[in-house]
Amino acid sequence: MKAVGARLPRYDATEHVTSGTRYVDDVRIPGTLWAKALRSPHDNAEILSIDTSKAEAMAGVHAVVTFKDVHKNVHGHIEGLGIPGDEPLLAETHVRYKGQPIAAVAADSEALAQRATEAIEVTYKVLPALFDVRKAFDADAPQAHHWGNWYPHFEGEMDRRQIRKGDIEQAFADADVIVQGTYRPAAIEHVPLETQVCQVVPEAGGRFVVYSATQAMYFSMGVVAAHLNWPLNKLKFVGGTTGGGFGGKVDTATETITTLLAIKSHRPVRWRWTRAEEFLFSSTRAAWHMEIADAVTKDGWILGRKMLTLHDAGAFARFSPYGVTKHAFHHTGAYTIPNLEFNGFVVYTNRTPSTAMRGFGVTSVSFATETHLERIAQTLGMDPLEVRMKNATRIGDTSPNGIPYTDPSTVPVMQALSGAVGIELPAHYRTMTSAIRSGEDLPGHLVAQLGNPEDH
Amino acid sequence: MNITINGTSRIVNAGPLTPLLHVLREELDVLSPKAGCQQGGCGTCTVLVNGEPRRSCLLPIAAVEGAEVRTVEGLASGGKLTPVQEAWIHHYAAQCGFCTSGFLMAATAYLEKGGSDDHAEIAAALGGHVCRCTGYVKIYDAVAAAARGESFDLATTAAGSRTTIRGVEL
Repeated sequence: MKAVGARLPRYDATEHVTSGTRYVDDVRIPGTLWAKALRSPHDNAEILSIDTSKAEAMAGVHAVVTFKDVHKNVHGHIEGLGIPGDEPLLAETHVRYKGQPIAAVAADSEALAQRATEAIEVTYKVLPALFDVRKAFDADAPQAHHWGNWYPHFEGEMDRRQIRKGDIEQAFADADVIVQGTYRPAAIEHVPLETQVCQVVPEAGGRFVVYSATQAMYFSMGVVAAHLNWPLNKLKFVGGTTGGGFGGKVDTATETITTLLAIKSHRPVRWRWTRAEEFLFSSTRAAWHMEIADAVTKDGWILGRKMLTLHDAGAFARFSPYGVTKHAFHHTGAYTIPNLEFNGFVVYTNRTPSTAMRGFGVTSVSFATETHLERIAQTLGMDPLEVRMKNATRIGDTSPNGIPYTDPSTVPVMQALSGAVGIELPAHYRTMTSAIRSGEDLPGHLVAQLGNPEDH
Repeated sequence: MNITINGTSRIVNAGPLTPLLHVLREELDVLSPKAGCQQGGCGTCTVLVNGEPRRSCLLPIAAVEGAEVRTVEGLASGGKLTPVQEAWIHHYAAQCGFCTSGFLMAATAYLEKGGSDDHAEIAAALGGHVCRCTGYVKIYDAVAAAARGESFDLATTAAGSRTTIRGVEL
């Protein structure tokens, strides 16, 4: 292993410092048109009519596309994982978030493309909008989504991601204290310095070359091919150079619409979002609402956890069911809690659809769990590090979904961090390892949850 | 209109209020300045105008007629990198690289004026430049090392100034 522990230079550093790196917007193809999208000005509205005739008649406008130009307008980004599609590429009868694309234009210049989108006439019937996940379940809540206000298609057509482990009622009956808390991290925009961008170039033989800033090349290729009902060999994707993504370039944001414009205009087309578009309309990290109630003993053991998670998907599902699944599997954080009752809902609102961002689905629960452990320590008057070390995952402990941990690192990480910030742990925790629990580290309530790591 | 770019006089056809960034990228194919925000807020388009760092997205070309404009394309000569470029490589100061061109030009202006390795002065010189991969510590390290006149081994990456906390190696 020559690389591990070695201080190797970046493979692309010389290109970066000499401007040799070619990002998507640096690709130069003669005759390239600029794309712009007409976006919904409303959070929730029916579309009564779309008239593109004035834009199509403008000199220098080479293509205008709407839902009529898309073979399969509704395609789920992860239909392959069993998440059905719910989001139109271009809105047809309804817009469900401000900024949702309705039509797109390819024209000789960026300014002309913008003017052409403004010449497209759309009439709307504006509807009340839903912005607060806590109100989504009210009988009189505005309807944010055509499936209802929360995603109903988890396996077995369940309307939530659910975990049941151990005997939650017994855990709460045995508790000395119930510690409750609610945690609400906000949506976050990724703000890559390179905004969403792609260029699509038609080749004479009928193949289209897609220069893409995506973080997920073959996935994006599949999404474009599915919308067009094309075989993959009619698309050549060129990617791998991304000017920052952080999860925000997992969604296929620009490639399909730009390809449609290139098909219709028979010209190369470039679509680069403005910073304003990036902030307002690109997908974000989701906002989350998490309610935790922990059954705790007075000496700091967590016997059980009841948790409700409302994940703000925004207007469409995209990857949210996957994010909530990860969230569910990690909902005890780096700790072992043997009795669990978890309900996680993917809630629709009329906000910008949310997506992956650095630790998709997990950072939210890490924030909630770590804050909650502080709350437990304060409630009990205990050292928060002791609460953590006690409940830290060990070899043989099982995850919320019952998988035995084979190589958990909570204990050594806590020991290293406490040293780094100058806190001396009590002797028992200084010498603790991740080895299978025994003695005072294996109280009765943790016996039944133990699994055999070799079975995994 | 004539603008001197990296020592070469170029004829520009765009109108006088066209942003310099647009002229550089779309008319002259000088691609190191990037269109990060086009509002003066991120620093990715920074170039040197008569030695001073300027946001090319906000600068109409009429304001740079006859001026000497320098970009990253003009830094290395004959394949020889400048010390600040070498410092960037050795200190791992680029991740995605999209902010690098703007940072490099601001750092070049700072060092050419005799800037020191003082953290606060470097921070002031690089103010308004955004790195979303959050590599600021490495960027400070690179500029400070270049200011000290260090030489750089491009086959390795330097240990960072924040790889230990209170003596504990992280």
